[in-house]
Amino acid sequence: MNVLLTLSIAATLALFFGVLRLKNLATPVIVIGLLASLVFNAMEWNNTTSIFNDMMLYNNFTVAFASVGLFITLILVLFYSELSAKHEFHLPEILAIMLFGTVGGIVLLSFRNMVMLFLGIEILSLSYYVLAGIRKQNVYSNEASLKYFLMGAFSSGFLLMGIALIYGVTASLNLNEIAGYVNNAKGIVPPYFLVGVLLILSALLFKVAAAPFHFWTPDVYDGAPTLITALMSSVGKLYSFGAFVLLFNSCFIPLIADWEVILWIAALLSMSVGNITALYQKSVKRMLAYSSIAHAGYMLLALVGINNLTSGSVLFYALAYALASVVSFVVLYIVRDKKGSYDIASFNGLAQKNRMLAVVFTISMLSLTGIPLTAGFFGKFYIFNSALQSGYYWLTAFAVINSFIGAYYYLKPVVAMFASKSDEEITMPALSNSLLILLGILIILIGALPGFISGVI
Amino acid sequence: MNTIFQQIPIEHYITLSAILFCIGVLGVLTRRNAIVLFMSVELMLNSVNLLLVAFSMFHANPAGQILVFFIMAVAAAEVAIGLAIIVMIYRNLKTIDIAELSKLKH
Amino acid sequence: MFTQLVWLVPLFPLLGFVINALGFGKWSKTSASIIGIGSVLLSFVSVIFLFMEYSGSGQAQTIKLFDWIVAGDLRIGFSFLVDALTLNMLLIITGIGLLIHIYSSGYMHHDEGFGKFFAYLNLFMFSMLILVLGSNFVMMFIGWEGVGLCSYLLIGYWFKNREYTAAANKAFIMNRIGDLGFLLGIFLIYLHFGSVEYQDVFSSASFFSAGDAAIVAITLLLFVGAMGKSAQIPLYTWLPDAMAGPTPVSALIHAATMVTAGIYMIVRSNVLFSLAPVTLEIILIIGVATAMISAIIALTQNDIKKVLAYSTVSQLGYMFAALGVQAYSTAMFHVTTHAFFKALLFLGAGSVIHAMSGEQNMRFMGGLKKKLPLTYFTMLIGTLAITGFPLLSGFFSKDEILLSVMSHNRIMFILLVITSVLSATYMLRLLFMTFFGQFRGTHEQEHHLHESPPVMTYPLIILAFLSVTGGILGLPHITGVHHVLSDFLQPIFINNTRILPHTPELIAEVAVWILSIATLAVVGHFTYRAYALAETDKHPDISKKSVWYRLSYNKFYVDEIYEKGIVRPVLAISSVLHRWFDQFFIDGIVNGAGQVALLLASILRTVQTGNIGLYVIIMVAGIALTLFIVVFKFLSI
Repeated sequence: MNVLLTLSIAATLALFFGVLRLKNLATPVIVIGLLASLVFNAMEWNNTTSIFNDMMLYNNFTVAFASVGLFITLILVLFYSELSAKHEFHLPEILAIMLFGTVGGIVLLSFRNMVMLFLGIEILSLSYYVLAGIRKQNVYSNEASLKYFLMGAFSSGFLLMGIALIYGVTASLNLNEIAGYVNNAKGIVPPYFLVGVLLILSALLFKVAAAPFHFWTPDVYDGAPTLITALMSSVGKLYSFGAFVLLFNSCFIPLIADWEVILWIAALLSMSVGNITALYQKSVKRMLAYSSIAHAGYMLLALVGINNLTSGSVLFYALAYALASVVSFVVLYIVRDKKGSYDIASFNGLAQKNRMLAVVFTISMLSLTGIPLTAGFFGKFYIFNSALQSGYYWLTAFAVINSFIGAYYYLKPVVAMFASKSDEEITMPALSNSLLILLGILIILIGALPGFISGVI
Repeated sequence: MNTIFQQIPIEHYITLSAILFCIGVLGVLTRRNAIVLFMSVELMLNSVNLLLVAFSMFHANPAGQILVFFIMAVAAAEVAIGLAIIVMIYRNLKTIDIAELSKLKH
Repeated sequence: MFTQLVWLVPLFPLLGFVINALGFGKWSKTSASIIGIGSVLLSFVSVIFLFMEYSGSGQAQTIKLFDWIVAGDLRIGFSFLVDALTLNMLLIITGIGLLIHIYSSGYMHHDEGFGKFFAYLNLFMFSMLILVLGSNFVMMFIGWEGVGLCSYLLIGYWFKNREYTAAANKAFIMNRIGDLGFLLGIFLIYLHFGSVEYQDVFSSASFFSAGDAAIVAITLLLFVGAMGKSAQIPLYTWLPDAMAGPTPVSALIHAATMVTAGIYMIVRSNVLFSLAPVTLEIILIIGVATAMISAIIALTQNDIKKVLAYSTVSQLGYMFAALGVQAYSTAMFHVTTHAFFKALLFLGAGSVIHAMSGEQNMRFMGGLKKKLPLTYFTMLIGTLAITGFPLLSGFFSKDEILLSVMSHNRIMFILLVITSVLSATYMLRLLFMTFFGQFRGTHEQEHHLHESPPVMTYPLIILAFLSVTGGILGLPHITGVHHVLSDFLQPIFINNTRILPHTPELIAEVAVWILSIATLAVVGHFTYRAYALAETDKHPDISKKSVWYRLSYNKFYVDEIYEKGIVRPVLAISSVLHRWFDQFFIDGIVNGAGQVALLLASILRTVQTGNIGLYVIIMVAGIALTLFIVVFKFLSI
């Protein structure tokens, strides 16, 4: 609860500072707010609290996922305020909206009531609709925003329909009571209920950008400002998957026979569509967007055979993916800022001009590919292990093959960085520079000693 | 208290909201004007509201109506943001036809 | 107990890597090379201590540092296994690695990225040590991927050249195909044995009967991994291309250590492989085919490093042939001697290239014998060792392989003997073209010719010494002396009850010796004439001489018959194989897979029209299909 309050107060203060022309105060307030909520969040460890009469439950699962989300948001806020400040008139508002999105995300990690699920999704999504369109003069940003908004609102309709149907059968919106109903039903539920579950499932698949509900992803990620894309792809995915795991883990496991087939088809499609289409892309930004669909597919693999390993492996994967994705989008932002294009060719000769950037970017690409001794490898390892435990051998084999396709396109910009020459100097502001180094070290460190993270939940 | 609404069988409510929901979905599928699309989405939400209220009455359980209030509040926020986005697009492109909006593709 | 400190072995190169990586570009070349060489030296010394302790006790030990990966029931320790096989590999890796590091400090002296080079080399050493030291398959896989990555970095080291980067990419992707097999194999092992620790897996393997489908699948997948790393058909074309990297890299990674990882893996899992006769048969066939085809291709290559690369592929084929007949310790023997003489040959070639200012084409060499006497002498020893000159190391290890294969499968034996004739031919051709005859390069190059500095020649001399004496490790049965290496490695076969003890017959042993000596003599004669003397021939007009003189002069036209009947066809086959099999077929398949994927991609991306209308329709269709589940479920009741 403290976390939500701190975040909301900090964001509101920042909005006021924006109005009162005290813009320089906004970033410190936001950063302090995030730091404070990280501390409050950590204090909730092993201290399960129920909020609003069981509408929400703050437990270790929430703390673990929320720490990752808050940390990544903090990093992105710092990047945004240092790198983008010169282009940005509305910095306080943007940072405040990022924080409001985080509030929605944390609701999604702790809800115990369908009302809160809906609210969390809407708070998160509404913030992202605005952030995607934050470049008001840029037609790409506009288009991304409208596409995201229309499709997001459309999918919310399905989510609500699903919630209403489940409510109609169980007469409750509380997850514990729904779970009780499902357990008593022993796998035999009325069709309304099943339709409800499947509609919620579809809406959540939309939110995590899984095929065939992924079509918004490439366009929105491509059109949105790069640092916002980093936010959506890293923490956005983390929150949505957290909600996914939370909901299905607590309520619908007895019905697994009915929904797992959808999940594995979605996982299969997401991996293939994401990886194969990414092969063709010339723009690194769009390539990363498609690859994020593939990553959603890998994460779905852990959900397919949902078991006690699922939440740990999803958390690890989401963390690994978030770190690498933030690094890659930030480097992309810097490169694009200099060269004016997202093309792979913009990366030519980066290794000569700024070796640190090149090395960190290479680490993040290797992590996304899943090379050992990077966080990404163990992310995949845990996910595959979790799927194998549930007996999905062929699907896992397919995922492994898919992850090898990834090597092909992730290495393209890396090769370009090392293979060609360039004359333009690329300099980095000090804070962003050290943040990038920190993230690079984290990726390697988590990859070398994965036990410390994976044992958490 | 036995109002006229309680005399109508619950199946009728379900059918009506299903029809409204499908009209909403069909509207999204067939129209090209962003505002009409948006209105269709609102229709979907309202059909859900109707269903929730009906279920709430049927079960004599207030939770459904609480959710309706939240949906209405969120829908209002959504309208605010959605219309802002549409206005922004109209200013830049002088159109709100979604078929014209396909700069981002492939 | 020094064994408890085994983690020092990989730690030193890791520290070297970190220090050099942080400092590169800023520190002087001397300090970079001192750090690079020093770390490997320390690690070598540690290995010596380990070795002494092991030979004292004879006890294999597992040292677990901490629980590394924990997920549910799966606990994988970060643990090291010190046993005979590990020590054998450790000695090769750190010993030869040390020599090559020293050599590199001379060879790479003119390079700008000196520190970076040593950083990569140290990182490679670290990964390779993890590969052989790990006590479970996951550790091995980590090292496996690590060496692949370093090899990628080092092949593409001179990244300014487009072609080099292409080669690096190819190596990376082909290796990934192999790694995929390996990874799937590990997953299968985990599923069937419930553990990935060597000890658990191998001790419970006895519950499986020979030819069990699961074991066959596991071993086949592991073998696919070995194929990729150890460059066997069809995943071998990356190795010749990998010669784009600096020569010391070729010596260390693509000859002595990394490419033998596949062999190490199979020897390590010998218990499993012995339970899968089908896999063994496939390994034998692929090994022999690789040995033969790459030897044929090597015949016509003119790039000195390419010849050596194909020769490496061919020798690896020999080792796999030995594995295929369950002669595991024989394969390790050849791994060891091959590490000596192939490292020597590559470093010698590097010395030649260094002297020739970067020229690698043997057509422009010749007559270097006088200018580079030390290099010539050591190369001569290396060549003799690889061709199986009596009493040199290659003689013993190669004959041991031939003997093992002979008792198993005569056809394969004959093919291997033919291959050994071919390998003698291309190696002697290399030696004669490079060091004999007239110098064929430019004047500038001739002016610049010089013997390499001592820092490069001393490693050559040491390696030459090892190439000569390496055979002591495995004196043949006939001598009555114990086979040192085979005895040493005995403990690793403790769980394997299916290896048949086999003592070659005396007559076979002698026959193989005579055969190899005879072929060597014949091949030596002809190649000397063809490549060392050919140009000095002034073509005297002999048509006026008598028939008998002409017959005699022309050695009864044996040369011509040889030339027309054997040499020409073989060379023709060689170039056809190179062009069609290598470049068209194998590379074609690899590129073809890429083309198919790209085609699919171009189809898939057309769906992404940018029009929300279509997106929404597909989305609704998806939801509708989802709801079909309900329809099916409730209709079927």
